Amino acid sequence: MKRFAPFFALLILGGAHATSPALAAADEQLHAWPEVQRLGSGQTVYFNAWGGDPAINRYIDWAAAKLLEDFGLRLVHVKVTDIAESVSRIMAERAAGRDANGSVDLLWINGENYAALKRAGLLWGPWTAALPNARLIDWQGNPTTRIDATLPTEGYELPWGTSAFTLFHDRSHVQSPPAVPAALLQWMEAHPGRFTYPQPPSFLGTAFLKQMLLLLAADSGRLQRPAADDFDQVTAVLWEWLDRAHAVMWRRGRLFPRSGPAQRELLGLGEIHWMMSYNPAEASRAIRQGDLPDTIAGLHFNGGALGNSHFVAIPYNAGAKEGAMLVANFLISPEAQAGKADEERWGDPTVLEVDALSEADRARFESLQRGAATPGPPAEILPEPHPSWSTALERAWLERYLR
Amino acid sequence: MRRPGILILLLVSGVPTVAGLVAALWFGLDAAAFLRVLNTPGVGLSIASSVWTGVSATLLSLMLAHVVLAVANTGNWRRRLTALSLPFLAMPHLATGIGVALVLAPSGLLLRLLSPWATGFTEPPDWFSVHDPYGLSLIAGLMLKETAFLVLVLSAAQSQAPTGRLLLQARSLGYGRLKSWLVAVAPLLQQQIGLPLAAVLVFGITNVEMAIPLGPGLPPTFSVLLWSWFVDADPQVHAQAWAGSLLLLLVTALTVLAASRLASGVGSLWRRWAESGSRLRRERSLRGAACTIMGGMWILGILALVAILLRAAAGPWRFPQVLPSSTGADSFAAWSAALPGGSNVAGTTVVLALATAVAGALLVLPAAEALRGDANGRRKLGTCLFLPLLLPQITFLFGVQVLLVSAGIDGTFAAVLWSHLIFALPYVWGVIGPARAAIDPRYAAVGRTLGAGPVRVWMTVTAPLTLRSMLLAMALAFSVSVALYLPTLFAGAGRVATAATEAAASAGSGTLRLAAMHSVWLAVFPLLAFAAAYAASAAVFRHRRGVPR
Amino acid sequence: MTVAGDNCLAIRQLSLRVDGQMLFRTLDLAVAPGTVVVVTGPSGAGKSSLLAFLCGTLPPEFDAQGAVWLDGDDISRLPPEKRGLGILFQEPLLFPHLSVRGNLLFGLREGDSRKTRRLIVDRELDAMGLAGFGDRDPVTLSGGQKARVALLRVLLARPRALLLDEPFLGLDDANRAKVRQLVFDEIRRRQLPTLLVTHDRDDVACADGPVVALTRP
Repeated sequence: MKRFAPFFALLILGGAHATSPALAAADEQLHAWPEVQRLGSGQTVYFNAWGGDPAINRYIDWAAAKLLEDFGLRLVHVKVTDIAESVSRIMAERAAGRDANGSVDLLWINGENYAALKRAGLLWGPWTAALPNARLIDWQGNPTTRIDATLPTEGYELPWGTSAFTLFHDRSHVQSPPAVPAALLQWMEAHPGRFTYPQPPSFLGTAFLKQMLLLLAADSGRLQRPAADDFDQVTAVLWEWLDRAHAVMWRRGRLFPRSGPAQRELLGLGEIHWMMSYNPAEASRAIRQGDLPDTIAGLHFNGGALGNSHFVAIPYNAGAKEGAMLVANFLISPEAQAGKADEERWGDPTVLEVDALSEADRARFESLQRGAATPGPPAEILPEPHPSWSTALERAWLERYLR
Repeated sequence: MRRPGILILLLVSGVPTVAGLVAALWFGLDAAAFLRVLNTPGVGLSIASSVWTGVSATLLSLMLAHVVLAVANTGNWRRRLTALSLPFLAMPHLATGIGVALVLAPSGLLLRLLSPWATGFTEPPDWFSVHDPYGLSLIAGLMLKETAFLVLVLSAAQSQAPTGRLLLQARSLGYGRLKSWLVAVAPLLQQQIGLPLAAVLVFGITNVEMAIPLGPGLPPTFSVLLWSWFVDADPQVHAQAWAGSLLLLLVTALTVLAASRLASGVGSLWRRWAESGSRLRRERSLRGAACTIMGGMWILGILALVAILLRAAAGPWRFPQVLPSSTGADSFAAWSAALPGGSNVAGTTVVLALATAVAGALLVLPAAEALRGDANGRRKLGTCLFLPLLLPQITFLFGVQVLLVSAGIDGTFAAVLWSHLIFALPYVWGVIGPARAAIDPRYAAVGRTLGAGPVRVWMTVTAPLTLRSMLLAMALAFSVSVALYLPTLFAGAGRVATAATEAAASAGSGTLRLAAMHSVWLAVFPLLAFAAAYAASAAVFRHRRGVPR
Repeated sequence: MTVAGDNCLAIRQLSLRVDGQMLFRTLDLAVAPGTVVVVTGPSGAGKSSLLAFLCGTLPPEFDAQGAVWLDGDDISRLPPEKRGLGILFQEPLLFPHLSVRGNLLFGLREGDSRKTRRLIVDRELDAMGLAGFGDRDPVTLSGGQKARVALLRVLLARPRALLLDEPFLGLDDANRAKVRQLVFDEIRRRQLPTLLVTHDRDDVACADGPVVALTRP
């Protein structure tokens, strides 16, 4: 990457492009809130967020309309297939010396991608404490708002919603749903070709690997520390389970749906009888939208559900930092959070401490209905393993099954 | 006045291409990254499946196009064939790929039409009918587009050679229709279509538009693998993508080279076959087989369009229902509601395509004017403009993106427009250049001696006589622009959303319903553009039969 | 050879070269009003290039020395539209995108109202025996009709001299004589100096003027 700057200086810009390396984000003055409001109003904020789900896109459109009305702020949803695209874009801009007015102002992020940007010093902050609505977040009750896959957030990213890994099945084909890995495998062997999972390294595919490893590993506490030489030893149980599963899976484990929504589509068309999601309300919402039949039901594994929070963060070179903060503050307002938790719109559990809200705000949440396909809370929330496990699992999976 | 027009045209097309290639070389030559590419699980298989699908699709399409033209070489049929090919030519690769996937999948339209009454299936079978590891569905999808393209290219070449008399001669010597064509006409045409054929081969090997909805999954074709690396977060993976894109360039160049060597070998076999004097005996069954395949492909194409419309409209669509359970106004409302930023995307697509069409025509006209009397110069310029189509898009477009980022103009409308022009100009030139040259220069001379100045003569004589070609060229540029995915993605920095980027992103994540919704625009806009161009061309000069078409 | 008078079309010391090669011997020529001078010569002798030089549409790869005078002015450096030379080619070259009337209006000098211009054109058509042909598509006309429209179009531009490039070659025998008579009558009536390039013996006979043969140097 270092070769970038001199090359283009020579070839294209005749030496005019010899900018200094990125400014450390913390050097910049963090304005007081009224000043942020003044500067942010009227800005255009490019929000890079996964665009694969129409309902989520509609929710962001709604937020954009509110923000335009309240602050004259233009929120542009840049729909990406994988937020890694935006991460690589920020890195490319850094390499090309574009240290101000970058193309991304705010991005929806967590886990590996957060770790990558934070490590490279490409996030601006800390900024989340400056938001008036930040005090409403359930920092104590929900540790995943502070710790993102074992990395502390340190005010560089703001929790926006939470999730718990959930399995869904079609009741017309699955009579007594299995809730432990061994029983699931038995079901698959009895019904070949009707189970699959999204292909790692897609977000949900990797999540499935982590969920299964957490359930199968002898010592799941080991996963909270970075992966090391004992990786093969710790993960052996997982590969053994997967080898047996692939033999009886959809397309005999030689083809996988490319994402969660792709898997949901296959369930809707009747090709498979299972799907999975980080969002417990996904099936209920899909049934209401007519994307899934009403015979779908959800469950958590008896051993607990992998859980995490997802966040929004501001890149170091964002052109509209104040606008991005205004957007972020709106996204965690009780109004926006209640909308997000509404299964008719998104159905994502809130990050706010609902009991501590004012009575009017609490009522927004209490009036929400839970759909028939939404399971109750899981027996236990299993925290995300250290990010190094995700990377190592993805690599090992590809090496094992891509040949 | 003579040179600047040509120079500007060459700069618009050449600068990004060359700079992109230079950047690709610069970033790609990295031994460590090369090693990582070679150590990637499944990379060998991935490259092999790219070459296999590209070569097979090109070869089969070429054979099919020849046989079909041999059978249908009488005037009426040739015109009908051209008319039948046009819709497939207008429909972008991406939309065709998505449509074919929606037809062929186990839960797709074809099996729904046959189930359960003929197949007994009440649930979709667990078959590899799309994304199959051998790339057969990808080959079928590519053939659908490329056969149509080659039929048009061959019939254009046919009008430049004395094919009618040659055929008559061969048939009077006792040869059947097929062998007459293959021996007397095909070798002549092959010499003329070298460049377009190479472009088909390169596209076959390096495309992502069809490989995403139809190609193998584990591993995907090499260009799809590269595409996933380019959008990865890890800089190490980027270096790998750059090195890999050079490898793709190398593999493609070697394949094209091998193909041209092979072609000369085939040429000598061909001559021996011609000199053998054998009259094909089973010609009828061969011709029948080709027509059956062609008919099957035509039906597949129509089904693909129907499947896109159905899938876009259908919410719940359990197998084996043929029609979605909700239809009509109801689902149209659902459709427009589910389509994220629908009108914006459609608007951007149309504005960009219109701008490409207008800018393309404006750029080409001065050069066409300057080279109207210089056939050699026209051929050379045509070849230069065609060169970008002979490169793997992914190789030089990433270089282009780096360039745009460092100039600070990535993600702008102008940048995307420029990238679209690179791909539209060869077609615009290919139509307007010869059309302008075909106008009798004495018309202008008469105009001048009658007292009109050069500007007035251009406006009142030359321009009207070129108008129909300009309309056709603009429709072509429009449909090329609508179809472009990688250029829009790379130059648009992911911020310029068109029907193509949205459809490809949805197809990439496997959400075919969303992909189908965007594909409706992809399929409809080019068809509308051609329809509008033909209607306008028929309407102006309706009572002037002497105006060139 | 006649001496260049005031109302003459005169060519002085003209030589045309391509790649340094001279096409024909240096040419000196004067055409008096109402006279038709016939230019003959083998094909490739440069007859068409000579006409292109006179019109001002000679391609740049030609190197021309000499001058052309009309009515006492050197018009060699004027653009084609300012020279006042009308030309008729072998093909009538009616603009296919305009109606017959549109073609004639294109030729007619500006001035007058739209309505008057149309009246003039229709009257002239009438006089040519082509009444009611104004709205026709040129492609639907017979060869003789096209030739007459082309002649009319040239005359409406009020040229000061006329150049004819084998204009009767494409016509059948019956029409050829008729059209030729018509053209020559107009030339004499309007006293136009005229240069006729032709191979046809009958053309030469009817022209009844001096004959110049282009010869290789």
